[in-house]
Amino acid sequence: MSFVTGVYLVYLFTPIVLLFVGSFGQLWTNSLLPSGITLGWYQQLWHDGSFRRAFTVSLEVVTVTCVLCTVLAVPLAYALYKNASRGVQVASRVVFLLPIAAPPLVLAFGFILVFSSDLLPWLGSLWLLIAGHVVLTLPYLLQALVADMRHLRLDELERAAESLGADFRAVFFDIVVPMLRHSLGSGLIMVAALSIGEFQLSNLVAGFLYRPYPVVLLQAFYGATGFACAATVVLLCLALLAATAGAFTARSASRYRTVRG
Amino acid sequence: MSIALESVTFRYPGTEVGVFDIDLEVTDGELLAVIGASGSGKTTLLKLIAGFVSPASGRVLLDGEDVTSIPVRARQLGIVFQSYALFPHMSAEQNVAYPLKVRAVPAAERKRLAAAALELVGLEQFRDRRPFTLSGGQQQRVALARALVFQPKALLLDEPLSALDAGLRGEMRDEIQRLQREYRIATLHVTHDQEEALSMADRVAVMEAGRLVQVATPRELYDAPATRKVAAFVGKANLWDGRVESGDSVRVTFGLLRTLPHHYPAGESITVLVRPERVAVGPAPDGGNSFSGRVVRDRFLGAVRRYDLAVADSIIFGETGRRGRIDSVHIEPEHVQLLAR
Repeated sequence: MSFVTGVYLVYLFTPIVLLFVGSFGQLWTNSLLPSGITLGWYQQLWHDGSFRRAFTVSLEVVTVTCVLCTVLAVPLAYALYKNASRGVQVASRVVFLLPIAAPPLVLAFGFILVFSSDLLPWLGSLWLLIAGHVVLTLPYLLQALVADMRHLRLDELERAAESLGADFRAVFFDIVVPMLRHSLGSGLIMVAALSIGEFQLSNLVAGFLYRPYPVVLLQAFYGATGFACAATVVLLCLALLAATAGAFTARSASRYRTVRG
Repeated sequence: MSIALESVTFRYPGTEVGVFDIDLEVTDGELLAVIGASGSGKTTLLKLIAGFVSPASGRVLLDGEDVTSIPVRARQLGIVFQSYALFPHMSAEQNVAYPLKVRAVPAAERKRLAAAALELVGLEQFRDRRPFTLSGGQQQRVALARALVFQPKALLLDEPLSALDAGLRGEMRDEIQRLQREYRIATLHVTHDQEEALSMADRVAVMEAGRLVQVATPRELYDAPATRKVAAFVGKANLWDGRVESGDSVRVTFGLLRTLPHHYPAGESITVLVRPERVAVGPAPDGGNSFSGRVVRDRFLGAVRRYDLAVADSIIFGETGRRGRIDSVHIEPEHVQLLAR
């Protein structure tokens, strides 16, 4: 068992390690490892206008996606949680499975069909790109929130608040929203991680002015290996940062729930 | 302030479970305990008063005012939930101050009132602690302080002691009683623990299958239960099937029992009730109501010893402080109660 795990870990981490090594290597052609050490690829990346712009676009898309997901997911998850009817439960399961049932590529083709018409000529706009990211990531956040609501036995706390004189608004903002901060935090980090790395939809939907980082990254692979590695490492660091933050949020949330239970 | 239910009926949708035709009043300053087996409808009764569910028919009155259609938040009731339902993201003080906050009490005033309420339950030094860092008993006290801080019209307690261990439960019983007396507030206390109900309440209501079967003082309930099921539920009891022999005797499977003069006609099937502490060890001086047998179960509980004496095909369950051998018992006629079947 430990042998299989070891092989799996080697398989998983070898490309990542090679990316790091390659990003600092001066020359890497037809050899196992690169020769020479340089920071030049990172300097080149820093001074490349298209990459800097793509990085900014990615951050903009991630930020707005997170905000929109929060605005949409919290009330939607609450409505799903409160309405326990069979129909709503089935509908919510379909929504949760949407990213698996309809991969980004399918969604992108749909977007091209609908938004390249004269009636809705928004293909290539930043807002359409953001809308696509919201559609792709919202189910993950919804799932995290609904699961947390069930786990926290929110209904009991709501009843208590109501009995103490709180109206719907007070219950929602004083009890429900603060109680969900852990799942909202970890869910948003997942949203951010997915949005940062999203390529399939972005590649087809993004316009020339609003290409996010992963789309521009693809071009790097047509150039020098070291530059491609450095550009990928930047994306990897962003994703790792998001994953680590997510793990910490989830850990503090589970500790909080364990003590409560 | 008082709580009253008038001909209240409620049925859970799609079931035959609920409460039916309930008439009940909790007077000002009174502590009324509602007991019954699981599913008997006691928590439903509390939910109806609180407003969490609405009756299909009948009225809920608070201090004479019909609140049947008034939402929960406007009923001004202090409720202590079984799980305490403290808000985990708030400190003890913030929890207690919350009902004042939603009533727009100025911040300084609600801080003062919350501190006073916490002091009343002996938790002033824990005001900044989150609920999950407090023990069960401390959480219970915070829940009580929160339920009382806004001067509610009445107090509803939903099995508030069931999550505590036995030692703490006794302590909290006294605490709840003390606060209830101090606030002089009408209190409905739902519990499945008959000992808790008998020791705390001014009156006890017994529920069975969604109906009230008896409402009486703890002593009346114990000494004169209305039905066989009430007798079985409240305290320990010997309950034997019998047939009335005459105006002062009844025949049970293990012999003839003399009773005080009663009104049941001869030949009627009846339930005979004898409390175990009324079973005296040894034969009666005059030999009446005396039975010999063999102890088949003997439980030593410190001050009390409980034993099962096998007599003919029946068991006489007794309680005594004596430690010696037991091979016969007797029952005084005044301790033999008859209940209609």
